[in-house]
Amino acid sequence: MDAEAQESFREFVANRSSALLKTAVLLSGGDRHAGEDLLQNALIKAAGRWHRIDEPEAYVRQILYRQQIGRWRLKWRARELSVAEPPDVGADGEASAAAELRLLMRGALARLTARQRTVLVLRYFEDLPEAEVARILGCSVGTVRSTTHRSLARLRALAPELRALGPAGTERQPSRDYSPVEVRS
Amino acid sequence: MNVDELVRDALREQAAELAAPGPGFADRVLAVRRRRRTRRLASVVAATTAVVAVAVGVPLLDAGKEDVRPAAVLEGNGISAHPDQSPPRDLIAAGRSVLAAYYTAEPVTRSDDRAVLTRTYWLLDPGTGRYEKDDRWSFVAVAPGARTAAVLERELPARRIGILDLATGRVDRWIPVDRGVGGLAFSRDGGRLVATTYGAHPDLMVRMKAGAGEGFPDDEVWVPQFGGTSSRSGFYVLDVADGRGAWSPVAKRRDVNGRQDFAFSRDGRLVYSQVIGGSDGLQQFHDLAGKEVAAPADERHLRSDVGARLSPDGSLAALGLTAEAKDKSWSEIRDPRTGEEVARVRGAQLLAWVDDRRLIAWERAPGSQEYRPRLVLVTIGSEKVVPLSGVREPDEAFETVEWEPVFVERRA
Repeated sequence: MDAEAQESFREFVANRSSALLKTAVLLSGGDRHAGEDLLQNALIKAAGRWHRIDEPEAYVRQILYRQQIGRWRLKWRARELSVAEPPDVGADGEASAAAELRLLMRGALARLTARQRTVLVLRYFEDLPEAEVARILGCSVGTVRSTTHRSLARLRALAPELRALGPAGTERQPSRDYSPVEVRS
Repeated sequence: MNVDELVRDALREQAAELAAPGPGFADRVLAVRRRRRTRRLASVVAATTAVVAVAVGVPLLDAGKEDVRPAAVLEGNGISAHPDQSPPRDLIAAGRSVLAAYYTAEPVTRSDDRAVLTRTYWLLDPGTGRYEKDDRWSFVAVAPGARTAAVLERELPARRIGILDLATGRVDRWIPVDRGVGGLAFSRDGGRLVATTYGAHPDLMVRMKAGAGEGFPDDEVWVPQFGGTSSRSGFYVLDVADGRGAWSPVAKRRDVNGRQDFAFSRDGRLVYSQVIGGSDGLQQFHDLAGKEVAAPADERHLRSDVGARLSPDGSLAALGLTAEAKDKSWSEIRDPRTGEEVARVRGAQLLAWVDDRRLIAWERAPGSQEYRPRLVLVTIGSEKVVPLSGVREPDEAFETVEWEPVFVERRA
């Protein structure tokens, strides 16, 4: 890497590492250290071919996702211990019930396999359509669909409190509606 | 609200809470990249040297042959490997560490909505060098030297602790306790036991069902009781020789698992256990009166979920998984005082030190995307990996434990 490439690499990291780290940590089930390691490895790979990459962000993201699904079950035992706190749903009204439910969901997400979690992060955090997820992960749309379905089912198996929620609209297009969602406890 | 909407909200909220990486992140990445390139060159040289060292210095016992010398089972310091055995049937050992036992675990139903994750142990017979099933015990802690063990009977929490002679399979004596014990650990010198006390069975599981009509094969599973419900009450510190000791209460915490046993710090003056938090393997130390205290200087960078901890001479700390390629992984070795990484060694999970440069680790077997670990011998500064056991095939059942090794120090 020459000085000019290093400078452009530094600039890219300064501008984009915050967003990339969010994805990396979510892919790692909320483990910040694991997320930083994941991102660091992806950036090292990108640095190695910096002058040949047209779209660095797309390249780094692709490495993040693919690295992550290669980690299938790897930290399973450690993950298994990181259980969520039980929610005190209804203790302090609806707002705290919703917050507790989200915390419970985090705990359940951390206990999915890396493959299941990656699909959910791509679908619901990155808001990518199924076809795009399939392209990134190198699998069929059908596999994306069935993995999504199984992952959501497993979340409910992991946290019985989530069973009260309605089923996922499997054919629904990903929405960009960020407005708060009403929760009834 | 739908489950996918909650997933979306939970992920967004979690992302919003994350602080950006520090200002020097790019430079850190570039520095690691430089180090790795240098190390890759160095490791080629080191690997060549290591092959010679293994071939000359260390007799490798033949797998599964009849030449296990009973009297010498625990006295050697060479390598005894059985790469064709999973779970192991014959002695696995290297340097100062010996696989003294292993256990499996599966839920045993107690009622419609309760089960207990029940362990079955296989213990090393020091006479024959073979692992023999001993299903009398719910929990076994093997003493350094692998000649005696402390055991708990089937029903937990237990009101007495047995001191088991591993050669005869008989309990030499019982140590009665007033408060129910669920877990045990020896001090480094083997002279004392820390016995964690619980108000209820520490391995309770609850049944969880997926939504009706999901058609999901795992629609009914046993899972460990969620956090915040641990009945852990404190611990005894007991003298193994005369069974005397005292109990100390510990404050209830929400951030511990149902079973969260204590173990001694290296010098035996404190105990610690895992706590659940923002990263894996957090640990909380207590003094012997049960009060929460700061970690000792050389143990504050350790992880409670990495069994190897400090090297025999205390100069290196074994940490967690840090890098992976397709069918390889590397764990971190740090300076215990500063917490700085000083090396990366092969292995996904570092289990025990063999000497001051080598460790026993779980490492993924080559040839698969899936994590199929086997026990291996790894060396700092080398990419050489010596298989010690067969591959532990991942068990797709959600709630069982395939086989978990228990390593202790081997003593002549």
